[in-house]
Amino acid sequence: MRAAELSVQASGVATAPGRERWVLAGLLTAPGLYILIMAVVPAFLMVQLSLAHREVAGLWSPGFELTQYRQLATPLFARIMGFSLMLALAGALICVSLALPAAYFITRMRRRAQVAWLVFLLGSLSLSEVLIVFAFQVLLSTSGTLAGALTTVGLLAPGASLYPNFPAVLTCLVYLLLPYVILFFYPALSQLDPEVEQAAATMGASRLSTFTRVVLPMMRGQILTGVLLVVIFTFGAYLTPLVLGRPPQWTIAIHINNAAMGAGNLPLAAAYAVSVVAFMVALLVLTRVLSRRKASEA
Amino acid sequence: MFGLELRDLTKAYGDHLAADQVSLSIPHGEFVCFLGPSGCGKTTVLRMIAGLETPTSGAILLNGKEITNEAANGRQFGMVFQSLALFPHLNVGENIAFALRLRGVDARRRKDRVAELLDLVRLPGLQTRAISQLSGGQRQRVAIARALAQEPPVFLLDEPFSALDAKLREEMQNELRALQQRLKITTILVTHDQREAMTMADTIVVMGGGQIQQHGPPVDIYRQPANRFVADFIGASNLLPVEVLDPRTVRLGAISLRVAAACGLGAAPATLAIRPEDVLISRMAGNGDNEVAGVISQVRDMGAYVEFRIDCQGQDILGVAMPRDWIGAGVGETAHVRLPVDRCQVLAR
Repeated sequence: MRAAELSVQASGVATAPGRERWVLAGLLTAPGLYILIMAVVPAFLMVQLSLAHREVAGLWSPGFELTQYRQLATPLFARIMGFSLMLALAGALICVSLALPAAYFITRMRRRAQVAWLVFLLGSLSLSEVLIVFAFQVLLSTSGTLAGALTTVGLLAPGASLYPNFPAVLTCLVYLLLPYVILFFYPALSQLDPEVEQAAATMGASRLSTFTRVVLPMMRGQILTGVLLVVIFTFGAYLTPLVLGRPPQWTIAIHINNAAMGAGNLPLAAAYAVSVVAFMVALLVLTRVLSRRKASEA
Repeated sequence: MFGLELRDLTKAYGDHLAADQVSLSIPHGEFVCFLGPSGCGKTTVLRMIAGLETPTSGAILLNGKEITNEAANGRQFGMVFQSLALFPHLNVGENIAFALRLRGVDARRRKDRVAELLDLVRLPGLQTRAISQLSGGQRQRVAIARALAQEPPVFLLDEPFSALDAKLREEMQNELRALQQRLKITTILVTHDQREAMTMADTIVVMGGGQIQQHGPPVDIYRQPANRFVADFIGASNLLPVEVLDPRTVRLGAISLRVAAACGLGAAPATLAIRPEDVLISRMAGNGDNEVAGVISQVRDMGAYVEFRIDCQGQDILGVAMPRDWIGAGVGETAHVRLPVDRCQVLAR
């Protein structure tokens, strides 16, 4: 009897993980298929297209040639990638520098004020990017409110416009991304144990040194992820640089569009896109390696 | 005065008084335990002392100098928090050296001081260990070392041992007491654990309803509770409803009892308080004062002693006795209960 019970228990223990594996596999099938169809297959097609032979009239024929990739080894491509990266890093730096203290102060407010801020931030996300970019265009144009006000106080020459230029592109991108970054930092900061900051205060730390020496280092992982989010988004920005910038301020996304639609060179556009993806993957791997090394040092 | 002084310290949250006119003088080098149930205001008082809460009214003086409006980072009282609040991004040595680094102490002196403090809390050589790699007791010690690094004038602890298991808690209590006696540092510990307070403190401050109910040496608090709240909260007590007949006599139901003193209570209803260990229980009737016959209604053999609940003419009295005197005792057996006159304390109801 005892032996039989033990045997039943043992077989129960043995089958449970097996069943769990099946359940897990079932749950992962749908998202797995989605990722396969919507990401892996298009990526494969993009790589295939980038290696294809370009035909006239915007067509291509299957092949395996590196002609388009050779075209990337030019100072122009390096400049475009360099600018896109610089814009992305500048955007990330400004967004994180503004979002982190903003999210910190929101988490230190009373509950009702916090809710009001969160509703406001979420509400601002509901505005379309197109609407925001054209609103910026109006605001910064010669007849716009901001340019008009600056002209009135003598800071801007009459008839001058605040766009198209790099600051206009950067300002608009920061405006678009700031709510996302604040909302990204909010959960981690609101879960920060207040006693940790109070402990720093009892040891003589001012609010500023508590923020810089305790809060910021504790948020290191989130800050890194926040920077990556902004970099990835900004790298692929299309509408903002197109509307508010000059050609030198155009990002790689605009050049991909120009290659595909303007020049009708789909393999070149695909080669551009593959390079961007490869660059982003390299950036993510590098960040991962660096953060792991930092963690193991700690 | 050399030490810490609280004058009518009050903290109100809207209509609720978390601390209500708390006044106390703590001489330099004393170990004081604020003891009370949850929500009695003990942590609020501690946080006001640390500078983490601003009093609604009242004053805090350190060595005669008012510090009421000084911020926490100006007071620099070492504090151990309930969650310990160690910095997870810093290792043990960096945690301990945090205050010293803020003060601009040079690296060599910081290193020496960290080593000295780790020796003090019996964790030598753990400077480079990550906080996540420490056990509960080790974290406790690191938190204590960190709070002591800046040589604070007052050392504050907010229920620091509540998360530890019983054995480790007792070990840490003994270590902290020994450390405090060695350093002669004014220490205030907040706890709801009366055993912790009784074994560690020079002075216990019993708090209830935001007010100090009684303060004094642990034995006085235990032996002479000032009111029903203290008698009820500290240890087990028989709290019996009585009527005061005269300054030396009270009536418990139909039983008249002599007491040492029931002054100032008039003929009002009062409470007779007596500790279970002061109740004398016997199988045989004696001829002493305050002896009542009763029937045993509950027996709990606790190993080292036996706990009895005895129904004495409708009054439930709790008493303890040595097991050897009560072998085979059972419910329903007659017992004679004597309440020694000098142990009967009459308190306002």
